[in-house]
Amino acid sequence: MANITCTDIVKAYGAHPVIEGLQLDIPDHEFVVFLGPSGCGKSTMLRMIAGLEEVTGGRIAIGGTDVTDLPPGERGVAMVFQSYALYPHMSVRDNITFGLRRQGASRAEIEPRLTQVAELLGLEKFLDRRPRNLSGGQQQRVAMARAMIKTPQVFLFDEPLSNLDAKLREKLRTEIRKIHMQLKTTTIFVTHDQLEAMTIADRIVLMRDGKIEQMGSPDEIFERPASRFVADFIGTPAMNFVHAEIVAGDRLTAHGGGMTLHLSPQAFTTLKPGQRVELGLRPARMDLCEPGAENALSGKVVLVENMGAEGQVITEVAGQEISFVTQAFRSLSPGDSVCFAISPDHIHAFDPETGDSLRQE
Amino acid sequence: MGKLISATLTRAVLALLIVLALGPILWTVLGAFKELRDIVTPVPKLVFTPTLDNFATILRNPTIRDGLLHSVIVVSAAVLIGAVLGIPAAHTLARHARKWGDDVQFFVLSLRFMPPVAIAIPFIVIYLDLGIYDTLFGLVLVYLIVTVSTVIWLAVPAFERVPRDIEEAAAMEGCGPAEIFWRFSLPVAAPSLFGALVFTFVLVWNELLLALTLAAQNATLPVVAASITSLGKEVPWGVINAATVLLVLPPLVFIGLLMGLLNTMVRSGPK
Ligand SMILES: Nc1ncnc2c1ncn2[C@@H]1O[C@H](COP(=O)(O)OP(=O)(O)O)[C@@H](O)[C@H]1O
Ligand SMILES: [Mg+2]
Repeated sequence: MANITCTDIVKAYGAHPVIEGLQLDIPDHEFVVFLGPSGCGKSTMLRMIAGLEEVTGGRIAIGGTDVTDLPPGERGVAMVFQSYALYPHMSVRDNITFGLRRQGASRAEIEPRLTQVAELLGLEKFLDRRPRNLSGGQQQRVAMARAMIKTPQVFLFDEPLSNLDAKLREKLRTEIRKIHMQLKTTTIFVTHDQLEAMTIADRIVLMRDGKIEQMGSPDEIFERPASRFVADFIGTPAMNFVHAEIVAGDRLTAHGGGMTLHLSPQAFTTLKPGQRVELGLRPARMDLCEPGAENALSGKVVLVENMGAEGQVITEVAGQEISFVTQAFRSLSPGDSVCFAISPDHIHAFDPETGDSLRQE
Repeated sequence: MGKLISATLTRAVLALLIVLALGPILWTVLGAFKELRDIVTPVPKLVFTPTLDNFATILRNPTIRDGLLHSVIVVSAAVLIGAVLGIPAAHTLARHARKWGDDVQFFVLSLRFMPPVAIAIPFIVIYLDLGIYDTLFGLVLVYLIVTVSTVIWLAVPAFERVPRDIEEAAAMEGCGPAEIFWRFSLPVAAPSLFGALVFTFVLVWNELLLALTLAAQNATLPVVAASITSLGKEVPWGVINAATVLLVLPPLVFIGLLMGLLNTMVRSGPK
């Protein structure tokens, strides 16, 4: 078991910087997800921790040992690749046990461990098959078994589920989470899927263009996005953004886009009348209301999207599209006038220039 | 109905093509077992009393026997050394020098553009000076140009098709570069490399011009076979046919051996 410390990590390919001065501290036993849009440097970061990519600058320590200059095999880490990377010329059994056999472990040592991981991942029946004769999900399990059998200090996953269909992805996601609860091995999991990140992570490291945009628990990231970018990236349906201006009055009020909204004065202590802000309204935090309720918005229904238990209602409010989620969507149809509201506590405000959150607490 | 006709027609054309392609080979094989009078009859004979005399003649003839031996030695050595030098070079090119890989590959290929005559004559001069004219060593040396370049040219794409992830997964398990090459890249690329080696083998096995110009006493089988055809009026057709069959056999044996090697290599890993 081990904690991971990355100090001032820089990575450049030629003159093109990919990671710029990244600081990261991952405590022992934690399940961390690197989340971010494609090309933001998640894989590069993971591969530098694995030792598959050299750092241009900075140090990486695992379990207190500086591993920056160690080859991948000596870092005590195991990695699961997006493509599974199983050895096609070996049976599943040989794939899983290769690392142990290479270290010269005896049969008596290997057998019980093989049985254990095979059982954990439901691979008992497939041990004598070749990888190409397995389905994608089974291949991914073999890749995980191969990583697990050596009981590494750290597990690294690079988008391990993105080649699987939605149903299987969900199932394996739950399995990975359960296995982590059992083994408690420090894990870094890379994904570009925010839902996957939210469901699986202890902590999310949200990256953008080679920098950490925000680091925190899924709840923190969802409820207190540090920037407009984070707010926009996290949550489905995506957040609504409205340009507005703080107006004078006895309550903290923003006005813009034909809407007048009260904000939480505890959250935004520094807002001054006349200041321009960009408000963020999460669809999931809004619902139908009586006309005249606090923060009520009225608009015309443009489209209703059925999501099963809930529906996303896209409305037009003073020329701007605003969507919200409600369970009572079945009574609505395009053209209807609706009234919906959001509690002041759930309104986010960002600096329109920098995109930084203006929330203080 | 139209479908049936077109299907039948396709089959007929295919059958014709196969007969056209395989006919001469079959005829040669048959001829190798015929006596001369069965071959030179105006009406071709399909039924005849087979004889091994032709093969006996060949294997008793010291020139041909030596030619066969020389061919086996020279070609095996050239292909073997070509593979030992060319395959690791191709892996390195494919993995670590992709930037220049295309240029190197083209340069290597361009060696094959040169007409053999263009190098044969300078080689005669150089070989005479070095005192390796008409030696098996000299032939191996000149064939190495062909084998190394062909092996590299064909093996680079074979290694490029090996997923990089597999090599990285092996590195994660602690394997060094040599071990990764030996235990992973090579076995995974083996089926394509196998084709490359067979192609290279056949290329030099059938090589006539360089062998003709650079060796006299130490002639290889194609040179000997070519000389039989110019024996004079009394052409020993049966013997020529048998010689041809003998010429074709070693590549087949070679392919068989490689197949066996491939299978054991692919199956092994650490015990
Ligand atoms: N070998 C490489 N050479 C040059 N640029 C690279 C290389 N690998 C990755 N990059 C660049 O680095 C950036 C980050 O890539 P990556 O870490 O794979 O992103 P992610 O995994 O977040 O999608 C991308 O812009 C990509 O083009
Ligand atoms: Mg990636």
